[in-house]
Amino acid sequence: MNNIDPLLMLIVVPIAAGFLCLGITDRLRAVPKVVAFAITLASFAASLFVFMHKPSLSQYGSSVILLADNLSAFIALAVTFFALLITVYSFSYIDKSFGRYFGYLLMTLGSSIGVLFANDLVIMLVFWGMLAALLYLMVAMDGTPKAAAAAKKAIIIIGGTDAIMIFGIGIIWALTGTFAMDKVHLQLAGAFSYAAYFSLVIASFAKAGAMPFHSWLPDVAEDGPASVTAYLPASVDKLLGIYLLARISLDLFVANHITNAVLIIVGAVTIVLAVVIALIQHDLKRLLGYHAVSQVGYMVLGIGTGNPTGIAGGLFHMLNHAIYKSCLFLSAGSVEKKALTQDLDNLGGLAKYMPITFISFLVASLSISGIPPFNGFVSKWMIYQGIIESSASKDYLWVVWLVAAMFGSALTIASFMKLLHAVFLGRPSENLKNVREASFSMILPICVLAAACFIFGILAFKIALPLFIMPATALSPSYLGTWNPTLATSIMAVGVLIGLLVYAVMAPKRLRTVESFIGGEDARALPRISGADFYNTIKEIPLLKGIYAREEKGAMDVYNLGRKPVYALADFLKFLHNGVLPTYLVWCLLGMVGMFLFLFLR
Amino acid sequence: MEISFIAIPLASAFVVAMIANLDERIQDCIACLAALATLTLSLFAITVLSGAGSSGAIVYKVGGWVPPFGVSIVIDGLAAFMLVTVNLIALAALFYSTGYMKKYTDKWKFYALFLLLLAGINGVLVSGDVFNLYIFMEIAAIAAYALVAFGTTAEELEASFKYAVMGTVASCFIFLGIAFLYGYSSTLNMADMASVLASKGPSGALLLASVLFLMGFGLKAALAPFHAWLAYAHSSAPAPVSAMLSGVVIKVLGMYAIARIFFNVFGITPVISFMILTLAVLSMIVGSMLAFVQSDIKRMLAYSTVSQIGYVALGLGVGTPLAIFGALFHLFNHSLFKSLLFLNSGSIERVAGTRDMGKIAGILDKAPLTAYTGLVGALSICGVPPLGGFWSKFIIILACIQAGRPILALTAVVVSILTLAYYFKSYTPVLFGNVTTSKQIKAKSLFTMNAPMVALTVLVALAAFILIPVVGNVFMDGAVASLVRGISYTDVVFEALK
Repeated sequence: MNNIDPLLMLIVVPIAAGFLCLGITDRLRAVPKVVAFAITLASFAASLFVFMHKPSLSQYGSSVILLADNLSAFIALAVTFFALLITVYSFSYIDKSFGRYFGYLLMTLGSSIGVLFANDLVIMLVFWGMLAALLYLMVAMDGTPKAAAAAKKAIIIIGGTDAIMIFGIGIIWALTGTFAMDKVHLQLAGAFSYAAYFSLVIASFAKAGAMPFHSWLPDVAEDGPASVTAYLPASVDKLLGIYLLARISLDLFVANHITNAVLIIVGAVTIVLAVVIALIQHDLKRLLGYHAVSQVGYMVLGIGTGNPTGIAGGLFHMLNHAIYKSCLFLSAGSVEKKALTQDLDNLGGLAKYMPITFISFLVASLSISGIPPFNGFVSKWMIYQGIIESSASKDYLWVVWLVAAMFGSALTIASFMKLLHAVFLGRPSENLKNVREASFSMILPICVLAAACFIFGILAFKIALPLFIMPATALSPSYLGTWNPTLATSIMAVGVLIGLLVYAVMAPKRLRTVESFIGGEDARALPRISGADFYNTIKEIPLLKGIYAREEKGAMDVYNLGRKPVYALADFLKFLHNGVLPTYLVWCLLGMVGMFLFLFLR
Repeated sequence: MEISFIAIPLASAFVVAMIANLDERIQDCIACLAALATLTLSLFAITVLSGAGSSGAIVYKVGGWVPPFGVSIVIDGLAAFMLVTVNLIALAALFYSTGYMKKYTDKWKFYALFLLLLAGINGVLVSGDVFNLYIFMEIAAIAAYALVAFGTTAEELEASFKYAVMGTVASCFIFLGIAFLYGYSSTLNMADMASVLASKGPSGALLLASVLFLMGFGLKAALAPFHAWLAYAHSSAPAPVSAMLSGVVIKVLGMYAIARIFFNVFGITPVISFMILTLAVLSMIVGSMLAFVQSDIKRMLAYSTVSQIGYVALGLGVGTPLAIFGALFHLFNHSLFKSLLFLNSGSIERVAGTRDMGKIAGILDKAPLTAYTGLVGALSICGVPPLGGFWSKFIIILACIQAGRPILALTAVVVSILTLAYYFKSYTPVLFGNVTTSKQIKAKSLFTMNAPMVALTVLVALAAFILIPVVGNVFMDGAVASLVRGISYTDVVFEALK
């Protein structure tokens, strides 16, 4: 290696810089900010370079250690892009422990790149595991008991699935004799290969937040700092989780109809269940958290269709989701920072005070709901196409999955109607009168992301797909339907213009304003209508009632389900350890008698 | 050189007792220097053994008598590896004690007992015959009983009593086993015994002795169901003693003895492997389950030791070279991070004034070094990369799969998840969080306590370097080879005698 190895640098430099930042006290708060900005900017530039010069690899001896192919280089570009935006946003969002925060942020960046470029399963596992610990540290940094509880849940679920991943990697190694990812291409046959595949799938599900490993995500979204949520669960963890899913389904294993069916079912169930639960949430960030779960369903479903259109759609949706969801979380963070509350019951009418945040939030909401011409529509449309196409391969239930996906999309609109109304529209409550737009460094990333939603939507087939997605899948999708976003957008724009024109011409010219008679009461004392309770009635629908009751009890949560048997057994063992010495001696003797019996009677 | 592993700590123990009236600092120096000397010697021994032209063992004939007639001292790869681990932890614990033990009176008694304990475990490691192994085991055990009771509060005395009674029961059975073996083979020298047993073939006496040893050494190693004493002894002892007991004593008196006798003297058989694996799985599950419901830091750490020693036993039970490597690597890692965590619990107790995890929070704000070292220790034991604990668990799981035992691998995975869960459920909230009024923070930590913790943290973080061939060849290969060669141990020892 004569020249500098960009892949290695992209991993080592952020981790080393981040590690050094950890020790910087708050008196030198500018240092970690500047370092983080410089490193994330440089990383973005470097990953752009890698993206242009792919495939590039670092070879040590005869084995390829790091490898940037189309898929990983594209995701690395996205990861560094989000890291840069979040760094800018965090300048004024974070108000203490700068050294630790930016240190963890940089170390997370380096580890994420490590996961993406690793061509060795063990190296990938190492970085993957480091990310879990870093997520814990970033969420728990806040110091509140609720944040600590959310962080604990996150690391137990993600770290636990990392251990399962070790098992899967062990089987791959036992079956193929190598850890090199470019040399593994396993046929799924026999229990061992399925165990390996699903061990890795579980790890990717936990990281991305697909059901049933999702329950850490709403908790972290609610109680963690918004910038951390936007960075990890909303964008980077999604990118990495879906990257792993795509990598194992496309490269490491030969997916078959059984694995695809499992992915499709998990995807469809995740889409619908999570969005149904999201409908009734009262907390701004928790609601967004459930949507982050629901949208994973589309990506899993897309990859599960197993045809080029669906896979491309899933990957494109992954990118789009990261864009609009981090936009939503960052906006929510601004609202929380300025309004000092994230409870939907107390918010409202903020559009007047935070117009830029409102517009960006609106764009991202329309995008996540799959409204044309924004990016979320294009990827969802591709996933629908993929599902329809899968009908050709004897998947007779395709209508069910299509309906689930579309129904989920409809419920997403419904829940964002509620959210938009509750936060930005309606009559503001008294204590929100002094809310102003957040500082420039917080608005800028939000605007960039909102613009990206728009650009990736209308220029999907000109920029996003040919540049990023299609090379990554190395497959050529075919479309049953056609969607020309530029033309459609123009038509829609013309439609809106005509509507405005009609409104201008036809609207009544003379208006008379009178005060309504309310019996001499003070009008301002009238109760204001918050959007938070829009869908309370659906809680009473028989089927949904059961779902909500179960969710509140944690019945769909592997974390809670796992706790019960563990505590039952632990309490039983504790009961046995009664502190009486003769009891313990009896166990020893019983153990010895057991061994004797085994040896002499066997 | 060979005898000084026993002589140095033993002599220092006497010297410390003789100068009991002099300045404490002189006693501090003597104790630390003794451990430093044995650590240096053990590092020297391991480089000699891994050097070219080494026969794989250093043998010393006490009094010039040739085995099997005389007493011999044998340091092979396994013993040298264990010696390094033991003396490293002893040095850290002794250095830590110089500050920590100020809260007790009669520090010299502590040093004398501690050095006696060190002499005992070093003696177990270098003994070439099974009777001396027993003698040194008793020396170490009796010193340990006294050290557990060092604080002389009711709780500590009770713990010491339980430890002493159960430990003595185990010793009795071990002694009985040795008696059977002697009656059957007419020799006590392990190398000689291995060749005699190999020529005589299997017999009932051997099986009887196997069970007695498994129970006796199993109790010393705290394998379930013989583990009950450990939670009392390890949680009541002063922090550096807990670090020593949990970090190395159970491994030397228990796992090392099991490995030595079953691998090198009896020759491992599938039946014995099966029994070791059963004990291992039981310990892993029982230990981690019990750790879930503890509120006392040291009690939780103690039960976690039961579960982690199960990993070591699992690797030994699977018995392939990779599994043995994993087991020994995990043994080393566990020594580092568990003694780190116990030393850390001493600092937390000093800072917060209690060991009840429900009542402590926010150590990070008051004692950042304690918090960060504790966090690294916890992450390592949970198997978070790139720390040492991750690699050894990873290798053990790989080895189980490679050996065609996926169920054992799954058990290791599940217990790893449980470990992660209970450490993050009860231990890490102690480090983070905000200090509320009910969660008072009292004192600052001391340099003498921080320095060994930081040193151990660095070692935990860098333990992965053992996987690099250059380091691993020196440090681990001799130890793995000692066990892999099985009963050809006898050839190596007699070769070294020539």
